Amino acid sequence: MGASIRRRLALLVLASIVLMWGIALVSSYRQATREVGEWEDARLAELAQILALLDQRNLSTLANARIDVREEERHGEPGANDNDDDDSLPRDALFQVRGRSGEVLAGSPQLRELGAWDLPVPVASGARDITLGGQMYHSFTLRDTLLGHTVRVFELANTRSDLVSGVASRIARPTLIALPVLAVLVWFSIGWSLAPLRVLSGAIRARDVNRLEPVDIGRAPTEVRPLVDAINLLLSRLLHSLERERAFTADAAHELKTPLAAIKVQAQVALAETDKARQRLAMERVVQGVDRSARLAEQLLLLARLDVHEKMTAAPLKPAVVAKNALLANERSAQQKNIHVTLTGDMRAEINAEPVLIGILLDNLLDNAIKYGRAGGSIEVAVQHAEDRIQVTVRDDGPGVAPGDLDRLTNRFFRATGNQATGSGLGLSIVARIAEHFGASLRLGKGIGERGLAVEVSFPAYTQAS
Amino acid sequence: MRVLLVEDDDLIGCGIEAGLRQAGFTVDWARDGHKAGLALDTTVYALVVLDLGLPRVSGMELLKRLRDSGKDVPVLVLTARSTVLDRVGGLEAGADDYLGKPFDLTELIARCRALLRRAQGRSVEQIRYLDLTVNPAAQTVEVGTRRVPLTSREWAILLQLLTNQGIPQSRSRLEESLYGWQEEIESNAIEVHVSNLRKKLGAKLIKTVRNIGYVMEKE
Repeated sequence: MGASIRRRLALLVLASIVLMWGIALVSSYRQATREVGEWEDARLAELAQILALLDQRNLSTLANARIDVREEERHGEPGANDNDDDDSLPRDALFQVRGRSGEVLAGSPQLRELGAWDLPVPVASGARDITLGGQMYHSFTLRDTLLGHTVRVFELANTRSDLVSGVASRIARPTLIALPVLAVLVWFSIGWSLAPLRVLSGAIRARDVNRLEPVDIGRAPTEVRPLVDAINLLLSRLLHSLERERAFTADAAHELKTPLAAIKVQAQVALAETDKARQRLAMERVVQGVDRSARLAEQLLLLARLDVHEKMTAAPLKPAVVAKNALLANERSAQQKNIHVTLTGDMRAEINAEPVLIGILLDNLLDNAIKYGRAGGSIEVAVQHAEDRIQVTVRDDGPGVAPGDLDRLTNRFFRATGNQATGSGLGLSIVARIAEHFGASLRLGKGIGERGLAVEVSFPAYTQAS
Repeated sequence: MRVLLVEDDDLIGCGIEAGLRQAGFTVDWARDGHKAGLALDTTVYALVVLDLGLPRVSGMELLKRLRDSGKDVPVLVLTARSTVLDRVGGLEAGADDYLGKPFDLTELIARCRALLRRAQGRSVEQIRYLDLTVNPAAQTVEVGTRRVPLTSREWAILLQLLTNQGIPQSRSRLEESLYGWQEEIESNAIEVHVSNLRKKLGAKLIKTVRNIGYVMEKE
C-alpha cells in the first residue's frame, strides 16, 4: 500500500492529540497527588493538636481504640455521603504522646510491634516520612510548649490513594471516549479536504491523447491550484509539441511525395519512350529522384532526432578542424562546379558542442553554398573570434536569395524561387536547429562582394570556466 | 493542342513535359506562378496543368486570377496536399480536375484528354467529321475504313481545326498550337502542312479563308 496523505495526516493529528492529552493527564495526576498529600499532612497536624490537648486518661483510652482515618474524613466533611474516593482498606492512625522529660504518656500499641516505641523524637515540629516495619509512614510531630507534651502521629502512607486515582480517572474517562470520535471526525475532515485532488485526478484520468486543453476543476484551493497550473502548463507544452510534430509529419509526407512523383513520372516516360537516348535520360532522372528521396529521408530522420534529444553531450572542439573535414568531404562536388573553396581565420578558437552535429551543420552550409553557388565562383569559410563569440561564416558569390525570401530560408521545406538545384528545403532548418542546440545564433546576409549568400553561425566561445 | 505546364520541381516538370509531348501535346513549361501568369496573358492554351505549391505566386492564387479575368481554359491541378479539404478548396477556386502526387502519367494524360473533350463539348474520345474518324488518344485518323498516317505537325493542325469547327484559325494561332517556347518556327510550315493534309485526307476538307487562315466548316 502506498503512502496516503489522509492516513498520515490522521495519524499525525491523533498522535499529537493523544500526546498532549497524555501530558495534561500526567501533570493533573501529579497535581492531584501533591494536593492530596498536603491535605493528608494537614489532617495529621490537626489530629496531633487534638491529641496534645487530651489528658492522660483519655489518651490511654484512645490508644487502645483505633482511629480510622476514614471516619475522621467522613466527620470532617459533613456532606460527603459519596464514598467514591474513600479508601477501601482501613487506615489506622497511630500515635505516641511523651511528657516533658521524654517519658511515654500514651501510645498506640501497634507502635511497639513496628519497633517504633522508642524512636528518637525529632527536635523540630513538622511532617516527615519514615519507614516503619518496611512500610512508608507519614508522621507528624508536634511539641506543645504549654503542656510540655510531644505528640507524634503516624499514618500508613497512602501511596495508592483511591482519591488520587479517582481524580485521574475522572479526567481520563472523557478523553478516552472522545478519542475514537475525534479520530472519525479527523478522518472524514481530511478526506473532505482532499476532495479537490480526487476531482483533479478524475479530470486527468478522463482525458485521452487528443484532448489536451487545460484542466478545469472549478475553484481549486490554493494548495491544489499550483498543481493544476503545472499540469496545464505541461498540457499546453505537450499540445504545442504535438502540433509541431503533426505539422512536421504533414510537411514531411508532402515533401516525400514530390520526389516519388518525379520518380514515377520519369519511369513512365522511360517506359513509353522509344528513342534510346531519351529513355536513358529519363532513367537517369529516375536515379536522381531516388537519390533525392534518400537524402530527404536522411535529413528528416536527423531533424526528428534533433527534436527528440533535448540534451546533447557537448565537448570543447575547434570549428576550424571540423570545417576542414567538411571541406574535404565536399571537395569533389566543388571541383565539379569548378568552385574555389577557402578556409581562413582563427584555427585554435574553441566552442563547446558535439563534433558530429557541428560537422553536419558545416556540411549542410558547404553543400548549400556549392549547390546554389556560381559555377567557377568561390566560397569562403571563416572562423572568427570576436570577444566572447566564435563566428563561423560560409559565404558564396552565387545568385543569392531574394530579400523577401531571406527570413523564410530556415523554414522547414522552404525552397527559394528559381533555383535549379535539387534540394529538400531542409538543409538550413537543420543548421538552425543544431545552432539552437548549442546556444548559437544564425544570421543570413549578403555573401562575397555583396553577391550570393552569407550564413553566419555565432557560437558562445569556450573558456575553461564555462 | 498547346498545354501550359506550371511546375516548380525540375524532375517532375521535365517528366510531365516529356509525357505530354509523347501524347501529342505541345507543351510550355513555366517554373513559377509569375511566369505562368505572363504566359496565360499572352498565349491561348487548350489546357493548364497546374502544381499548387509554387514559389512567388501560389498555384491557388494563379487559379483565382485566371478565373477572375474570365478565362475558362480547363485547369488540372496537381498537388502533394490531397486531403479532401485541399481538393474541395482547389475545385471551388476554379480547378476542373484534381490529381494528387504521386500520380500516374497515363492517368494524367487521360484526364487531360477528358478535360479537353469536355471543353469541346464532346463526350466520346472519337471525333467524326464527314467520312473522317479521328481518335485523339490513339492519334489515329481514318478516311472511311482506311487508316492515314499523319506527322505530329499535321496531326496538331487537324486537331486544332477540328476542335474549332466553323471558326477560322489564323496562321499564327495554328503556329501557337504547333510550337512550344523553345522551338523554332519554320516560316512557311503551316502552308506545307495544310497542303499535305489536303493530299492525305481530301482537297475539300480544309478551306482557305483569304487573308485570315484556314477553317473546317461545321457539318
